[in-house]
Amino acid sequence: MNQTDQMMMTGNLAAAWGARLADVDYVPAFPITPQTEIVEALAKWCESGAMAARFVTLDSEHSMMTAAGAAAATGARVFTATSSQGLLYAFEVLYSVSGWRVPLVLVNVSRALAAPITLEPDHNDVLAARDSGFLQIHAETCQEVLDSILMAYRIAEDERVMLPVIVNLDGFYLSFTREPVIMPDPDQVKRFLPPFRPAHLGFKASTPHALGVAVLSGTPYSYFRHQMHLAAMNALDVHREAAEAFEQLFGRRYDVVEAYRLDDAEDVLVMTNTFASKGKVAVDVARAEGRRVGLLRLRMIRPWPAEAIRHALQGRRAVAVLDQNLSPGQGGILFQEIAACLYHEALRPRALCSFIGGLGGKNLSEGELRTIFEQTAEAGVQGKGIGPVLLYTEAEHREMVQLQDIAADVRTS
Amino acid sequence: MRAVRFHGRGGQGAKTASRILGSAAFIEGFVAQDSPIYGAERRGAPVAAFTRIAKEPIRERGLIARPDLVMIADASLIHDPAARVLDGIDERTAVFVNSPLTAEQFQAQASLPGRLTTLDLTNIALQQFGKGGAISALLGAVAGRLVGLRQESIREAIARELSDLGLPASVIEGNQAVALQCYEAVRTVSVVAGTPQPIASAKLQVPTYEPPTRGTARISAAANSILRETGGWRTFRPVLVPDKCNGCWLCFAYCPDGVISMTKDDRPVVDFAHCKGCQICVHECPTEALVAEREKEGGVVWTAR
Repeated sequence: MNQTDQMMMTGNLAAAWGARLADVDYVPAFPITPQTEIVEALAKWCESGAMAARFVTLDSEHSMMTAAGAAAATGARVFTATSSQGLLYAFEVLYSVSGWRVPLVLVNVSRALAAPITLEPDHNDVLAARDSGFLQIHAETCQEVLDSILMAYRIAEDERVMLPVIVNLDGFYLSFTREPVIMPDPDQVKRFLPPFRPAHLGFKASTPHALGVAVLSGTPYSYFRHQMHLAAMNALDVHREAAEAFEQLFGRRYDVVEAYRLDDAEDVLVMTNTFASKGKVAVDVARAEGRRVGLLRLRMIRPWPAEAIRHALQGRRAVAVLDQNLSPGQGGILFQEIAACLYHEALRPRALCSFIGGLGGKNLSEGELRTIFEQTAEAGVQGKGIGPVLLYTEAEHREMVQLQDIAADVRTS
Repeated sequence: MRAVRFHGRGGQGAKTASRILGSAAFIEGFVAQDSPIYGAERRGAPVAAFTRIAKEPIRERGLIARPDLVMIADASLIHDPAARVLDGIDERTAVFVNSPLTAEQFQAQASLPGRLTTLDLTNIALQQFGKGGAISALLGAVAGRLVGLRQESIREAIARELSDLGLPASVIEGNQAVALQCYEAVRTVSVVAGTPQPIASAKLQVPTYEPPTRGTARISAAANSILRETGGWRTFRPVLVPDKCNGCWLCFAYCPDGVISMTKDDRPVVDFAHCKGCQICVHECPTEALVAEREKEGGVVWTAR
């Protein structure tokens, strides 16, 4: 790789570059850790003239998403970004703008939700939005953040889709982590991403139209909600076409799922986002010890790539799903969806195991990954799944007890 | 079970009438269920309400597709397809219409299916309560008579429902008295329980994807509200007394629906296909040149397109 095409940059800066290269028209912004660097970079570029976009600071994420949707409804290409509580504050508007079928791109920098308050990532924020009508692409590397934003616009703006997209990256582990990123050539990006000319959007006095209208009865509501479902499902094909075009122009290929050393794998670990890098290392270590294991990384969460998941997981001895989220009273969110899409598979795995790890950005250690492979292999032999198993160690719990004693003012000495 | 469907216009009292009927049945020891359905909460817009009365727990919910009794508070609703007054009515259905016409006159004019009875509740309310009066208690009492409930339960139900609305005791007593007059006055038709109908399986259709120009909830046809005629919403119409008009244009300015246009001589002309009868123009006119006159049956020829 020619190093002159590369730059050391954080995930946040990669996200900002994605918006800049996509030549967006409008950036409504509100800062929140760990996303702030994205809008800071865009503010600087809009101020200097490096970007021809209008940058506007809003008074909340609710206003920000409303402005984003309204601007996109006029036919502008819109980018915005948020994180965690900010995404939740914008939540009502997510459902509105997806119903308007405005293809904006929203970057979410994952951060665990309060309470208790914390800054580091897990995926309860972004997965809360999984039913909103936004498509979701989850990135593993800074390069993938940038590339996914370009792909997101291409998919979102396709007439067969016309839905907004969330591109997700992990706070700290990616947002503040610098690594080399290949900068796509702006002219090539223009070829990949033609100008945005939506037929159903726009703002012309001579052709007035109303979006976000009330229907006040179940029949049209059912029809329009179902249209959003069909549009989201269409995104599977449109994603593949976009991936092929992207590969031709830039030489990098992204599919809805990524298979890592799956060919002869008996047991498979399913993961998402940045920690998948650690998972791949753990697969290599286990392989070196003679274990036939592999990893399936889910890149696209909405639409749910059921066919690709079934294809990757059918016939395996055991499958472990590592959820970096927790639905209290249920367990791991992605585990449920994996289980549902394997149910009708004649060759479904003998055991499905649910692991909960990395909550609030807690480190996912090599030891924990080794435990996952051991317990999953055992479950496969037994033919009985386990979980949800919390990845949380004895040593960590000793620290926890000390913290509780300090919080309760118990003098231990 | 007896299933009673009320049709009225927002503000007329169809919902309260359905509750009076529900409460009266409940007071008599029946199991009752009442519920309204309405769209945007606007005075004059079509409203429906449903009361079910049974001896066993009621497991049906929501709208009544095949009513045993239909209570029509406003005859102009019959020809409004959006109000769906005629849905599920056949020759066995009992139908009450608030109308100055007799059942025979009305039948000759409207050719409604079902067994008909009428009473001019609007006129009774105007005579007894004046212009601000509602017909909810009267409508509820008539419904109660038709399904065979006792006077005492209806009297008590009116008290409960109207005090729930915060009305003073004098108004409630007046409503009870007039409502029971209507209870006595209405010509009864028997309300019989419907027999279960054979049910065909629903034929499902999976819609295919359409481009966002059609597949998005949007309206691109400009100025199509003219297609929705709302003239039938009126109980009163504004009528001009030309000699009193000073040509000030205030009625034009205040009309919330833009249905008043002005002639070259500065005189208002009302588009009665769309005037909802809100009477704001009547209230705003400084010279009392606009007066409210009650719509008469057949006086307005109005059909929704």
